[in-house]
Amino acid sequence: MMDLFLAYEATVDHILVYALLAMSQYIVMRGGTFSVGTAGFAAIGGYGTAILITRAGWPPAAAIAAGTIIAMAVSAVMALPLSRLRGVFQAVATMAFVQVLVTVILNWDSLTRGALGISGIPKVVTTGWLLLIVAVVVVFLHVLGRFSIGKAMDVIREDETVAVSLGIRVIPHQALSLVISGALGGLGGAMFACNSYAITAEDFGFGMLNNALAMTVLGGRKSVWGPLIGAVVLVILPEVFRPFAEYRYVFQGALLMLVIIYLPNGVADTLFAAIRERRVRSSTSAAAARTS
Amino acid sequence: MTTPDVLQLEGVSRHFGGVPAVDNVSMTVRAGAITGLIGPNGAGKTTVVNLVMGLLHLSEGRVLLSGRDVSRLEAADLARSGVARTFQNVRLVPNDTVLDNVLSGFHRHQTAGMFANVFGLPSARAEAKRHMAEARVLLERFQMTQFAGHRASALSYGHQRRIEMMRALAMKPQLLLLDEPVAGMNDTEAASLGTIFKEIAAEGVAVLLIEHNMRFVSSICSYLYVLSSGRLISEGLPGAVLKDQKVVEAYLGAA
Repeated sequence: MMDLFLAYEATVDHILVYALLAMSQYIVMRGGTFSVGTAGFAAIGGYGTAILITRAGWPPAAAIAAGTIIAMAVSAVMALPLSRLRGVFQAVATMAFVQVLVTVILNWDSLTRGALGISGIPKVVTTGWLLLIVAVVVVFLHVLGRFSIGKAMDVIREDETVAVSLGIRVIPHQALSLVISGALGGLGGAMFACNSYAITAEDFGFGMLNNALAMTVLGGRKSVWGPLIGAVVLVILPEVFRPFAEYRYVFQGALLMLVIIYLPNGVADTLFAAIRERRVRSSTSAAAARTS
Repeated sequence: MTTPDVLQLEGVSRHFGGVPAVDNVSMTVRAGAITGLIGPNGAGKTTVVNLVMGLLHLSEGRVLLSGRDVSRLEAADLARSGVARTFQNVRLVPNDTVLDNVLSGFHRHQTAGMFANVFGLPSARAEAKRHMAEARVLLERFQMTQFAGHRASALSYGHQRRIEMMRALAMKPQLLLLDEPVAGMNDTEAASLGTIFKEIAAEGVAVLLIEHNMRFVSSICSYLYVLSSGRLISEGLPGAVLKDQKVVEAYLGAA
C-alpha cells in the first residue's frame, strides 16, 4: 500500500497543487469575471516564496504566507481596472498580465536569476500539508458559496442586468472574487515552489494558464467540486496516455471539446443537477401517488 | 386621505444620437394603486422602464422616488432603495432551482456583513434561514411550492413568469415595475395574475404596469398613461383614455 502511494506521490502532489490553481480560476469565473490571471498570481507567489527562502533566508512558512499576500495585493490592485472591462477583454488583459510577468521574471536577472530559475528550494510541502491546505480551501469556498455572496455571484455570472435590478452591486463582488483568486493563485504557486526544489519562468507561463482554465471548464464553475474534478482528470489523463507520447494532448483536446459541446456546465455541475432532478422527480411522483 | 406619490417623472427625455426615444414625459405612480403605461410597439415604454431603473441615463428631466431625486443613482443602488421589476422576456438564472431564484430577491435585505457571509458566521446563517422561510411563503402564495426544487428552465413560461414575480416581491419593493407581465398568457392565466397584482397594490405597493393587452389593462389599472413615438398623448381613467380619439388613432394607425 505504502509502495503504491510512493510510486504515485508526485502525481498526487501535482493534482493537489493544481487543485489550488483551478480553484483560483474557479472563483473568478463563478463571479462572472473572465480572468486568466491565475498563472500570473502563481508566478508571484512562487517566485516571492522562493526568493524569500533562498536569498533572504526566511523560514518557509513565513515566506509562503508572504508570497500569498503579495499575490493577493497585486490582484486587489488589478480589480478596479479589470471591473471596467467585460468578457473577452478581461481575458486578453489578464493574459497580457501573465506574459508581462513571465518576461519580467526572465529578464530581471539580479532578482530572479533569469532563465536559470531558482533552485535549492527546500521541499517542505509534503502531500499531507497539501491535503490539509486543499481541504481548508474547499471548506472555505463551499461556505462562501452557500450564503448570499455565492448566490449573488451566480446571478452576476448569468445576467448582470438582472443582478443590478436585484440591488446586487457588481464591482464589490467581482473584486472580492478576484482577490480570493489572487490569494489562491499565490498560495498554489508557493506550494508549487516548495514542492519541486526548483522553479523557472516557463513553469508559470501559458501552459499553467491553459491548464487551470481547462480544469475549471471541464469540472464546472458553480460547485467547488468542479475544479477539483477538473484537476484530477486533467493531471491523470496525460499520465494514462503517456504511451502515446505527444499525441496524448490530442486526447486532452478532444475530451475538452466534447465536454464543452455536451456538458457546457462542466462535469460536476451537470452531475449535481441530474441528481437533484432525480430526487425532485421521485418526490413529486411519490406525492402524486399519495394523492391518487 | 391623499395617497403618496412614490414615483414621479418630471419632463423626462432620452435621445439616442439626436433621435428622441422618450420625449418630455411627466407621470406619477401612486402607492396602493396600479398605474398603466400603454402604447403601440416602439412607443418607448421599455426605455421609460430602463430610465426609471437607472439602466439608461436621462438626457433631460428628473426622476423622483418618494420625493427624492434619484436621476443620477446607479442601477443597483436604485434597486436597493426599493424598486423591483420584472422583464419583458423572462430573465432568471436558468440552471438554479425555483427556490434559489426567489432567494436572490432578498439580497437588498441582507444585514449580515460581507465577513459574516464569507465565513458563514451565525448571523449569516440565521439570516439565510429567515429568508428561506419568507421565500416559502411566497411560493405558497403563487401556488409554486411543489416546484421549489425544480430547475427554473425546466418549467413552463407561465411558471417562469411567476418565479420572476416572486423574486421581485422578495425585494419588498415600494415600487414594482411590471414589463408586459401577461404577454403570451391566456385570459385565465392573465386574470389570476391580475388578482395577485391587485393584492400587491392593496398592500401599499406602487405598481407601474407596462402592457399591450388593452383588455387586461383596463380591467386592473386605476389610471392610464398612453405613450406614442416617445410622447405622452393621453392620460386619465381607463374608460376615458381608451375612447380618446388620439389613442385610437395611435393604435389603429389611422391618419
